[in-house]
Amino acid sequence: MVDLFHNLGLGFGVVFQVSWWSPWWLFGLSLPISINILMCLIGALVGTLVGVLPGIGTVATVAMLLPITFGLPPVGALIMLAGIYYGAQYGGSTTSILVNIPGEATSVVTAIDGHQMAKQGRAGPALAIAAIGSFFAGCVATVLIAVLGAPLTKLALAFGPAEYFSLMVLGLIFAVVLAKGSVLKAIAMIVFGLLLSMVGSDIETGASRMAFNIPELADGLGFATVAMGVFGFAEIIRNLDAGAEMNRDLVQQKITGLMPTRKDLIDSAPAIGRGTILGSILGILPGGGAVIASFAAYTLEKKIARNPSRFGRGAIEGVASPESANNAAAQTSFIPLLTLGIPPNAVMALMVGAMTIHGIVPGPQVMQKQPDLVWGMIASMWIGNLMLIIINLPLVGIWVRLLRVPYRLMFPSIVIFCAIGIYSVNNAPVDVILAGVFGLVGYWLIKHDFEPAPLLLGMVLGPLMEENLRRALLISRGDWSVFVTRPLSAVLLAIAAALLVLTVLPVLRAKRDEVFTESEN
Amino acid sequence: MADTMGHSATTTRNTSVAIGIVLLAFAPQIFEFIWSIGTIFGWGSGPGPATVLISHATALFGGAPGAMLGSFAADAKKTLSSDVLLALIYSYPLIVVAILTLFMIIRAPQDYIGGIVLMAVALFALWASSDLHGMQGFKFGAGTAPRMFGGLLVALSAAIALTGLLSEGAGLSHYSWRGPLFVMAAIVFFALAIRPLGLVVTAFVSFLIAATGSHETRWIEAAIVGACLTLGCALLFPYVLGLPMPMFPRFLVQ
Repeated sequence: MVDLFHNLGLGFGVVFQVSWWSPWWLFGLSLPISINILMCLIGALVGTLVGVLPGIGTVATVAMLLPITFGLPPVGALIMLAGIYYGAQYGGSTTSILVNIPGEATSVVTAIDGHQMAKQGRAGPALAIAAIGSFFAGCVATVLIAVLGAPLTKLALAFGPAEYFSLMVLGLIFAVVLAKGSVLKAIAMIVFGLLLSMVGSDIETGASRMAFNIPELADGLGFATVAMGVFGFAEIIRNLDAGAEMNRDLVQQKITGLMPTRKDLIDSAPAIGRGTILGSILGILPGGGAVIASFAAYTLEKKIARNPSRFGRGAIEGVASPESANNAAAQTSFIPLLTLGIPPNAVMALMVGAMTIHGIVPGPQVMQKQPDLVWGMIASMWIGNLMLIIINLPLVGIWVRLLRVPYRLMFPSIVIFCAIGIYSVNNAPVDVILAGVFGLVGYWLIKHDFEPAPLLLGMVLGPLMEENLRRALLISRGDWSVFVTRPLSAVLLAIAAALLVLTVLPVLRAKRDEVFTESEN
Repeated sequence: MADTMGHSATTTRNTSVAIGIVLLAFAPQIFEFIWSIGTIFGWGSGPGPATVLISHATALFGGAPGAMLGSFAADAKKTLSSDVLLALIYSYPLIVVAILTLFMIIRAPQDYIGGIVLMAVALFALWASSDLHGMQGFKFGAGTAPRMFGGLLVALSAAIALTGLLSEGAGLSHYSWRGPLFVMAAIVFFALAIRPLGLVVTAFVSFLIAATGSHETRWIEAAIVGACLTLGCALLFPYVLGLPMPMFPRFLVQ
């Protein structure tokens, strides 16, 4: 416990670190500024922007901003990227409530009841409850990361290659279970991702694999490139299919009275609590993250409500719970990354990319060797949440105005920004073309009902899995039974197998599908 | 009567699917042939189109069947050229699938075609990693993992295709050409032009090309926004963020 406060103190120290800034136009005067707080604010602002605007997601944005972090100190870079991720969870609700179009996949269910509330003239309380719920969830999740961080790191240090491999198998199975649609297709996407990660030179032997003597492929496919293609360009192409002019029945009247009534608060308080707990748990599990958390939270609220028919007609719990859940999940998904070095979803995978740019290898040793980085990031999340509640509530009018920008002007801008972002990672034009090709691949995948998220997860975990598999088998002298004879590894694999069996069982499959059907009606 | 009509409808449909799969089966060869045409004009290096055509034709019609017969003989495998391997690992299995398709009733085209294309990708990966070392004792070679995952993907995609035959499901969804074409054109133009023409020209032109992707674009409005965006990018990326990037066309700067 003392350790915890000590660590958090260290973190806040890092965030509030002041440096003196003396620009030439002040003629020798210096201003005290805190770079990390500035980064946190920028991250929160960009995150809100991305969250509010439909048609551009967090994955594409973080991929786009990766090159920008070259010039920043590592702590500041990670604080900013983290801010984008949880900031988007706040912003997404604004669009859902006011326009009935989710700004972010995580706010799909918020639109159901949130927009109804807005139509009844209660947009203010809906926005306020969403922000308050998110803030509460953010605070709890921050504490949770701080509490779980150290013990999980200790556990992770006891892991050998066999355990790591089994853990990643478990993670991928979770990703399958929590993915939308067919289990078979999700597994196929993971294996496709694993295969894509094999392109480039082999880590151990240096042999060039599946690179066809193309020099640009010798280093492998960049993760950011593929992510940008599959999540950025493919999304744009698909949106153009539907016609650029999306049906935006923006709630036109001025939002008056942000304050929720006492009854609203009493109604939503338990829902916020439930959403936070559910979101925190689902965030730690790999594969799902914030999206599944919001769906599951909504389903849970509907299940336990005394009068379920209120849902879909402006029930405030239907806003409070999913919004708390997605923010909690967005933050707790940092836990596996920071303690085990395993990214549980695509955004975290990009965080790995950002860390490697700065020469940090994610894993349990980061917490011990660079405590200022980890705890600075954790502390920044709390401050970021505080900023976000201000960004979102009093300034909501500004964001609403942004929504009036038509998609026909937005999509070419996104294309250009993405192209510049990809180009500046390596200053390589080929990367831009590759991202475009993966945009077409992503478009095809969407058309054939394949989920792109497991593909990216497979691609990130591929090299890690191969390395640990090789190492485990080398240590055991080629004996495959090592994965079941080592107790920890055996337990992990058993859970994975049990999960897979359970998902295929018809009863549970129906339950799983039920969680995802909310958005369609 | 209605029954037979329905049947004939699926047959014609199946033929086009089968033709598509055959095309897919020869896609790498066709791609290499088209690529090799460039060598006539001195773009890129590599064998000319005639060499490519002959080597693939002999591999497909002569080498591969010969190798199949000869594979019963010892040590025949090591001498196979990569073209023959491509025919053996990639083209032949897909042609078999195409022939089988003719006799199937496809219940869920979305799943069936999705599975087959994914299978083609997996087979291609198997071929691409066929020149790498496999297991050496209990030590993994460079090719072990790609082959493992490739094999797994072949099995999974076959299962997906099978579900497309066994259970009713969604049909093929509609593809539009305008959005993908112009967005891709903008991306390719950006990639080709950024070095010689610099950020200012490239960003503006790419913006307009991408904007063509939607039929709702209003040109004056798009041009104004494009110009503002270009100006913003020209200030943001090189100056504020310090990312090195050519700004103006090379011939103007010099």
